[in-house]
Amino acid sequence: MRASKWLADRQFNFLIGVNLLVVIVATWLSHGQFLDIDNLQSMGGQLPELGLLALGIMLSMVSGNGGIDLSGVGLANLSGMVAAMLLPHLVSADDSPALYTAVFVCIVVAMGLIGGFLNGVVIAKLRLTPILCTLGTQLLFTGIAVVLSNGASVRVEYVDPLSNIGNGTFLQVPISLWIFIAAVVLLGWVLKRTPFGLRLYLMGTNPKAAFYAGIPRARMLIVTYGMCGVLASLAGLISATHTSSAKWDYGNSYLLIAILIAVMGGVNPAGGYGRIVCVFLAATVLQFLSSLFNLLGVSQFFGDCAWGFLLLASLAFAGGERVRAIFGIGGATLKTKAPPPPASTGR
Amino acid sequence: MKLRKLGTALTAIALAAGAIAAAQAATNETIVTVVKVTGINWFNRMDDGVKEFGKANPNINVYQTGPGRADAAQQLKIIEDLIAKKVTAIAVVPYDPPTLEPALKKAMDRGIKVVTHEADNAKNTMVDIEAFDNTAYGAGLNERLAKCMSQQGKWAVLVGSLGSRSQVQWADGGIGNAKAKYPKMDLVEPKLETNNDGERAYQVAKEVLRKHPDLTGFQGSSSLDVIGIGRAVEEAGKVGKICVYGTGLPTEAGKFLESGAINGIAFWDPKLAGIAMNKVAQMLVDGKTVENGADLGITGYNKVTVSKGPGKGVIVRGTGWVDVDKTNYKQYPF
Repeated sequence: MRASKWLADRQFNFLIGVNLLVVIVATWLSHGQFLDIDNLQSMGGQLPELGLLALGIMLSMVSGNGGIDLSGVGLANLSGMVAAMLLPHLVSADDSPALYTAVFVCIVVAMGLIGGFLNGVVIAKLRLTPILCTLGTQLLFTGIAVVLSNGASVRVEYVDPLSNIGNGTFLQVPISLWIFIAAVVLLGWVLKRTPFGLRLYLMGTNPKAAFYAGIPRARMLIVTYGMCGVLASLAGLISATHTSSAKWDYGNSYLLIAILIAVMGGVNPAGGYGRIVCVFLAATVLQFLSSLFNLLGVSQFFGDCAWGFLLLASLAFAGGERVRAIFGIGGATLKTKAPPPPASTGR
Repeated sequence: MKLRKLGTALTAIALAAGAIAAAQAATNETIVTVVKVTGINWFNRMDDGVKEFGKANPNINVYQTGPGRADAAQQLKIIEDLIAKKVTAIAVVPYDPPTLEPALKKAMDRGIKVVTHEADNAKNTMVDIEAFDNTAYGAGLNERLAKCMSQQGKWAVLVGSLGSRSQVQWADGGIGNAKAKYPKMDLVEPKLETNNDGERAYQVAKEVLRKHPDLTGFQGSSSLDVIGIGRAVEEAGKVGKICVYGTGLPTEAGKFLESGAINGIAFWDPKLAGIAMNKVAQMLVDGKTVENGADLGITGYNKVTVSKGPGKGVIVRGTGWVDVDKTNYKQYPF
């Protein structure tokens, strides 16, 4: 009965349930202030940076073979910083604000693409483990940012259209949230409806089979990490415009939170599985919780504690298979090395 | 069954949060202090000040919050949530002042009073509070050093980083003071860099002692400078022969204060800074301004200097540094 279509994806049900629950409890506790337009906009404006980074983590995880992109935050900061430093030499901010903004966006995204391709090429061609490669590039990107800026904040020239990306709203919804939603929809379509998406999931599930099926591993990896880079740079674009500055250590705590969101969203760190809508819902529930705690004036440490509790709860709901995947014993090794633990059959 | 378990857990959380919410719903005037990071001694001490202010003003709802991890992004999120919460005033110790500029501007646009601390380069603030004038602070340290050195002999100055504006100002304040008042004091090494690193400070101090065996005074700037100097002085067996003064934290420097390798340290008390921020925020809420020479009724802020800041706001400077030596460092648990 549980296998009926409505309950097919327990992760999805769990996340929807928790989201609803948090919103209801939050509204009740804050006497409705939680649903105040100001608070909704504030939360909507805070969500995209982390959300985009989590999408990048998800993509790299889905690609399998221990895929992960640790360089996202570093690349985000570097992209924004390079654009902020380069642009005054190219376009005058006062004469043509629209052109200024357009070029800024182009430079940021181009930086993301370059950084992402760098990761992809190193992983695909030099066959370096993703975790090592991206750890290296993370230090590289951060290091370049420190050298470029001497460790200080780099100011982003203030022009209205550019500042609007991080601070403005369209139809009462923050523009940065529109960008995030567009990324979610586009990426969801790519993963679900295009041959690329199908191949990516196949490659993540079973690299060997994918190889014999003629899926071009190297090209797939380069494109995937390129996309991760672009997602990171979009996060960088939003943070740079939001704060009117770029700094090498901005968001240094985001990496682990982004990984947390991806895992809580049910992405299989061993590769081959991950639903974008679940990652989106995981990101929203974390944002709801953190804003709720700030509204109530509760310590941030309590917030961290609640996140940890949620992650455990989501693992408990996800069932044995996913838990096994998360603790690093992939299905393949299980079958060859040890019989499945009896606990999972007890249900 | 699963649902029931989850329900129980969430109800427990909800009840806990509800109790907190109820406790805070009593008043609608709220001043929130946002620090760089919570859970470290320095800001725990500031929290003491905020709580003390709250106790003295029961009609105002005050509390301190801050990110669990030292990250400008996390601090920014907290500020944004507070703006959405429509608090009356925000008192913030920015992790990185430029990062918060747009958010603080937004806060002020919405009528929230903004007070900052340790951010004399912040444009979007109404009042920035500095514990003291940096030059005067450096001169104050130097004055104690001169007394210990009987106003003569060779001495050296260390700074954590030449890029750190306040530290260089402290050093220059000390150097200027000696030059003007004590002609017999011979500055042999002006502003050696220690990279804000105790180990590096130790190496630098050792080199200085080798180069100038008859040196009798050190003035440090970064809070780690005195630690490194103290170690070098102890190792050279010159405790009592060399005077060491500088910025330091009582818990870190305590060991060397006891042994006499460090003669005295100075710092500002975050507790008093916390009270001062809240006090000024309350004054802004009441529509008052801080006048030059005003008495905030807090030790070290009895006669403040008001000057124009880089933006529309003003900078309020106290004389709130604390001189500490072996006899009284234990009173400051941070």
